[in-house]
Amino acid sequence: MKYYGGCDVGSTYTKAVILDENGKIVADTTLKSKINPTESAQLAMDEVLKQAGLSTIKDLAYLIGTGYGRNKVPFAEENISEISCHAMGVHVTDPSVKAIIDIGGQDVKGIAIDTDGTVKNFAMNDKCAAGTGRFFEAMARSFELSLSDFSKLSLKAKNVIPITAQCTVFAESEVITLVGEGKPMDEIAAGIEMAVAKRCFVMAKKAGATDSITLTGGCAKNGGLKKAIEQVLHLNVIELKTDPQLMGALGAAEYARQKGAA
Amino acid sequence: MKDLKHLIYFENLLQEADNELVKEAEAEGQKCIGTQCSQVPEVLINLPGSFSVRLFAPRTGSIDIGTYYMTSLTCEYCRAVLERALEGGYQFLDAFIDPCACSQHTDLADNIEQLEACTKPGFFMLHMDTPMKSDTNGINHMYNQCKKELLPAMASMGIDTSDDALRKAVDQFNEMCRLLKEIGDHRKADNPNITGYEYYVLCLATYVCPKDKIMDKLRETAEELKTREPDPDAGKKYRARILLAGSEVDDVNFIKTIEDSGALIVADRFCFGTFPDREEIVLNDEEDVLFQICRDAVIKCQCPRYMNTDRILERKQYIDRLAKEYNADGIIVQQMKFCNFWGYERADYQHVLPNEYGWPVLSIDRAYSSGASGQLRTRVQAFIESLEIKKINKKKGVVNA
Repeated sequence: MKYYGGCDVGSTYTKAVILDENGKIVADTTLKSKINPTESAQLAMDEVLKQAGLSTIKDLAYLIGTGYGRNKVPFAEENISEISCHAMGVHVTDPSVKAIIDIGGQDVKGIAIDTDGTVKNFAMNDKCAAGTGRFFEAMARSFELSLSDFSKLSLKAKNVIPITAQCTVFAESEVITLVGEGKPMDEIAAGIEMAVAKRCFVMAKKAGATDSITLTGGCAKNGGLKKAIEQVLHLNVIELKTDPQLMGALGAAEYARQKGAA
Repeated sequence: MKDLKHLIYFENLLQEADNELVKEAEAEGQKCIGTQCSQVPEVLINLPGSFSVRLFAPRTGSIDIGTYYMTSLTCEYCRAVLERALEGGYQFLDAFIDPCACSQHTDLADNIEQLEACTKPGFFMLHMDTPMKSDTNGINHMYNQCKKELLPAMASMGIDTSDDALRKAVDQFNEMCRLLKEIGDHRKADNPNITGYEYYVLCLATYVCPKDKIMDKLRETAEELKTREPDPDAGKKYRARILLAGSEVDDVNFIKTIEDSGALIVADRFCFGTFPDREEIVLNDEEDVLFQICRDAVIKCQCPRYMNTDRILERKQYIDRLAKEYNADGIIVQQMKFCNFWGYERADYQHVLPNEYGWPVLSIDRAYSSGASGQLRTRVQAFIESLEIKKINKKKGVVNA
C-alpha cells in the first residue's frame, strides 16, 4: 500500500493528513503552530507518521505542503496554495459543495469550486486581520472566554448588538465599551459573529457563491458564526463529515495522491 | 540563466529618486523636470539640456505624514511621494509639471507647493490642463496647453524648444523605445531569456534616469540578450505566462513576488510601463512637429481618464491584442488602492476580459509598496494553479462547468 501526505502549515495551526492509495484518511493531526514553520511541519508530520505506522517521511510516496508555510515543509515534493487545497479537500469530502468560506488565522477567503475540485474563482482579504481567526481570538480574549465558549455564548442571544468596527483593534475597544455600558454579553458576542459573517458575505459573493456553501478552517467550528452566515448569506451552510479544519491538508494529500499515482 | 551584466547597476539606480545619473546630469547643467503622470508628453520634458524623472518613492515604509496631509482615502502613490517630498527627497527638481490628470495627483502637487517641499533655487510648478477625451478637441486642447504653457515654461529655463530640438528629443526617445522593444521581444519566446522582473528594472530605469545616460548600457543589454541562454529550469519555476495590467508599478519587488509565485510576466500594460508609453513616435515632415507629438500622446494614451466610449472599448481590445501577441495564459489586473480611475477600470476589466474576451483574470488592489505580502503570494499562486489546471484539462479535453 502506498501512502500520500498533505501538510497545511497555517499561521495559527498546522494540520497534516495521510491518505492511503484509495483516498482513505489513515492519519490526521492538528497542532498549534510554532514560530518556525519548518518545525511546525516536522512536528505535525511526525505525529501522522506515527499514527499511520510509518517510520519516516520517506515512506510517503508523495508529500505536498500548503498554507502560509507551504514552502517550508521538509521533504515535500511540491507546494500548492491553500486556496486550491481547500477546494480539493472539500470536493473529495462532499462533491455536492460548490463554494467555501475559509476562515483561517490571518485571512478569510471565498472559493468557488469547479466540478473536478479545482478552483473556479476566489476572493481573499488583504493585509488586514478583520474577520479572521485572529479577530475571534482577540474578541474571545476580551470576553475572557475560550473560542468554544464564546461561540456558545453568542448562540444564546435573542438580539444582536451591531459592532461597527471591523478592525480587530478598534472592535476590541468597542466591545470593551459595550461591556462597560452593561450591554448583554451574549448579544455583543452575537454582534461580533454578525460582523464577521458580513465580511464573509463579501468574499463569498466576490467568489461567486450562489447555492449552498460550507465553512472550512478553524472558525468553521464556531456555531455562532455558522448561524450568522446563514442569516446574512441566505444560503444553506453544509456541515462536512470530516473536520473542516483539515480541509487544506486533506486537499494537499489528495493532490499528492493524484500526482503520485500519475 | 547567467545574470544580466548590468542588472545590479540598473537596480541600484532604482534605489533613490536622486540617483547617481540624475546627480551627474544636473552637475552638467541639465534641467531636471519631475512629473507624477504619463499625461505630460514625455519628449517635451526631455528636450536637449533637460531630462524628466518620474517621481517615485523607492523603499517606502510608513506614509503617515503623507496621510496626514492627504487623508487615508487618497491613493498611496500620492501619499508616498508627498512623504518623500517632505523628507527632502526631491530637492533636485528644477520644475514639477502636473498635468492635473486626476484630483489626487493635483492634491499631491498642491501640497508639495504649499508645504514648500521643493526649494531648489528657481524651482517652479506648472499645472497643465489635459483633456478628458482623446478626440479632435482633446488633441487640440493638448496642443494648446503644450504650446502656450509647457514649452514656454521649458524655455524659461533656457531650454531650446525649436522644432529641431523637438525632433532631436523624439529621435532619442525612439532609439530608447527601439532598444526596449528589441529587449522586450525576447519575452515572446516560448522560454524567454529575460524575466519580467529583469525587463521591468530596465524599463523603470528609463523613466527615472536621464535617458542619454543609460542608452549605452541598454544597448549592451540588448546585445547581451542575443546570445543569452534561457533558464533550463524555467518550466519548473514559471508555470504560466502573464500580462500585467493596471496602474503604475514603482515597486519592482511586486513584479518579483508575482514571478516568485510561479507566473512569468511576459507583457505589461500599466502606467509608466512598456505599452503604450514605450512605443515609438512617428513624425512626418509636413505637419507641425509639436502638433504631431501631442496627437501621438493623446491617441496612444491608454489612461482610464479618457472617457469616450470608443476608447473605453479600445482599452480592452488593446490588452486582448497584447496578451495574444505575447502568448499569455492569463491577465493580472492590479490597481493602487484608492486610485479613482483605475478603481473603475479594474472593476470593468474583471468582468469584461473574462466574459467577453475569454481571459482568466486575477484582480488585485495593492499598496504602493507591497512588502512581504503572503496574501499576495497565495492569490497569485492560486491563480497560476487554476491556469495550469485549465491548460491540463484543455489538453485532456475535459470541460468544467
